[in-house]
Amino acid sequence: MELLIWLIPLLPFIGFLLNVFVIRREREAGLVASGLVAAAFVVTLIAVAMLAGMPPEERRIVSTAWEWINTGSFRVPFAIMFDPLTAVMALLITGVGALIHVYSIGYMHGDPRVVRYFAYLNLFVTMMLFLVMANNLLLLFLGWEGVGLCSFLLIGFWFERKSASAAAVKAFVVNRIGDAAFILAMLAVFAYFGTLNFYGDGEGGQLGFLERVSDIAGLRIGPDWQPIFVSTAISFLLLIGATGKSAQFPLFVWLPDAMAGPTPVSALIHAATMVTGGVYLMARAEPLFVASFTTQGWVAWIGALTALLAGTAAMAQWDIKRVLAYSTVSQLGFMVAACGMGAYVAAIFHLLTHGIFKALLFLAAGSVIHGTHDTQDMRRMGGLKDAMPITFRTYVIGALALAGIVPFAGFWSKDEILAHAISHGQTPIFVILFLTSLLTAFYMGRQVALVFFGTQRDPSYHPHESPQVMTVPLVVLAVGATIGGAINLPVLHWLTDWLEPVLHEKAGEFNLWLALIATAGAVGMGYLGWWVYTTNAAKIKIGGKDPAYRYSGDIWEGMEEAWYFDRLYQRTVVAGFERLADFLARVFDPQGVDGLVMGVGRFFGGLANGVRALQTGYVRTYALVFTVGVLIVLGVMLWFAR
Amino acid sequence: MVPTSYYVLLSAILFTIGVLGVLLRRNAIVVFMSVELMLNAANLALVAFARERLAVEAQVLVFFVITVAAAEVAVGLALLVSIFRTKRTADVDEVSTLKG
Repeated sequence: MELLIWLIPLLPFIGFLLNVFVIRREREAGLVASGLVAAAFVVTLIAVAMLAGMPPEERRIVSTAWEWINTGSFRVPFAIMFDPLTAVMALLITGVGALIHVYSIGYMHGDPRVVRYFAYLNLFVTMMLFLVMANNLLLLFLGWEGVGLCSFLLIGFWFERKSASAAAVKAFVVNRIGDAAFILAMLAVFAYFGTLNFYGDGEGGQLGFLERVSDIAGLRIGPDWQPIFVSTAISFLLLIGATGKSAQFPLFVWLPDAMAGPTPVSALIHAATMVTGGVYLMARAEPLFVASFTTQGWVAWIGALTALLAGTAAMAQWDIKRVLAYSTVSQLGFMVAACGMGAYVAAIFHLLTHGIFKALLFLAAGSVIHGTHDTQDMRRMGGLKDAMPITFRTYVIGALALAGIVPFAGFWSKDEILAHAISHGQTPIFVILFLTSLLTAFYMGRQVALVFFGTQRDPSYHPHESPQVMTVPLVVLAVGATIGGAINLPVLHWLTDWLEPVLHEKAGEFNLWLALIATAGAVGMGYLGWWVYTTNAAKIKIGGKDPAYRYSGDIWEGMEEAWYFDRLYQRTVVAGFERLADFLARVFDPQGVDGLVMGVGRFFGGLANGVRALQTGYVRTYALVFTVGVLIVLGVMLWFAR
Repeated sequence: MVPTSYYVLLSAILFTIGVLGVLLRRNAIVVFMSVELMLNAANLALVAFARERLAVEAQVLVFFVITVAAAEVAVGLALLVSIFRTKRTADVDEVSTLKG
């Protein structure tokens, strides 16, 4: 069993090594990469089955490979674990990951760097698996940074495009801010618990810090006039780390730009798996977060605000992928808000369903882009439903799931979050999230109308359906998006029971009225979005304004620019650093650093010039100096010998 | 018996003549001979003190100095010949290319 769980991350890693060192041909690369991730999925399934066969309280396997770091009291084992929470994450990563690998074979066909692409993708899956399987914060951080690296490499995969490499750098730098807080959190955990392990290894050794959160209960740090609880400090730092990785306010700006990467990458990394790392971290560190009332409030509000902010931004985008990107930010906000309200199961449930239907939407969008010869502007699309029937149908299923319409997957998970908000008296959060879910339905209706209905507004290309290697994963994911909600149906609540040993949560009441109102609202807003953009289809011009712009005025422009956060950061932080860099490059470096270095050189040059006059080359001069020296020494000796 | 101080005085005079010869003369042969003069002045002082203190070791040391001086002459004269062949002169001031 321990060997089995090691296989899960190792299989994709083998694929990575093969793709880096052995494979040179496109076809083999795709097959090996997809095959090994699919194999990892099968192994995960077996491991889950074995886990299910154990008594619920004992469902955790910890396996230590070797002592990774051992310096006195600071000891970190290279240990992975497998418990119900890790299991569902690993299933999502390997399952959706395998489908996206297969899809990539078709999507990336003919790209000159396809082998490298699959190597990165396999490395990503490996790192993501380490992230969710790590049994200590440091190994989790290895996965955390590993996926960040792969994200950077894959966003900038087409680095010939200036925008792609700039987006890659932006994603990397923005993530660093969160990572700095993560490192601080790690140091604080070690300082107060003396270990970075989540759980003990079950062999009577030291307990992990998640099992000993009560140790720091009531402990405060900080100045006397404003002490804060240690649990608040640690969990707040972790929250900042999560806002970076999970693209939450105020660090969400990198995710929409990350769409410069290949579309399957957007589906895998920037929708289904990596960006949910922050949510996973919060669910994993649930005892720490629950211990701090303050942090939980921050978590809930950050999530809710992000959901609304990104939801409004998604409404006004023209780029097919940017709509989905902002939608992803918005849905991540839902999950984070759910964590903040203590609804961890609902958050994980939404994470899983969202992972499936957002991957579906991105892949279908990729299919649209593929079929329209790299068109991404929805103003140039329209009427694609006849040319791309499979893509159209799967896309609509994804849109229905995202909008939260019965019986698709998104409905159940979103409903659970909203129901939790109501039943726990979080009315302001509920109102914001409910509003956002209405916006979600609207922008999906808008997108479907713009892409698939009406007539083709740009006749310069001939749309065609994508090959089977791409449509089959779409169909599989569409099935998942349709029935995915079944894992946690209100009465059966399988997922809640499954996660009970980790998250200690009981299933909530099913709120029928809320479900009815939310569904009615979603259907109404979805229809409205669809109706507005089909009846006004004639008014949409390539490069023109949105029909809604006439009624909303500049608010629409604000939404289109995501409330100018990019510009704000550009003018404050980025401009400041650019000025500093400019100063360093044009003043400090040539005058300060070069001045110092050249100055030292010049000083010794001058000194040597002075000294060389002494060396005349005349032997007799040397002899004279020699003699005088001897005389002086003799004189001194005689003087003191008196 | 002649007092030792006379010998030492003579030795000092010879040594000074040698030093001045090295410093003032430009002909390499003369410079060379001046060096020999200095060596022998030292020898004279050694022998004088040896006699004074009845120390046989100092007498032996003189033989060593003579040997070393002979070897030095061999090397020095060889250098001199070589310099003369390239420069066509024995003037030490002409051999001053090795300078800063």
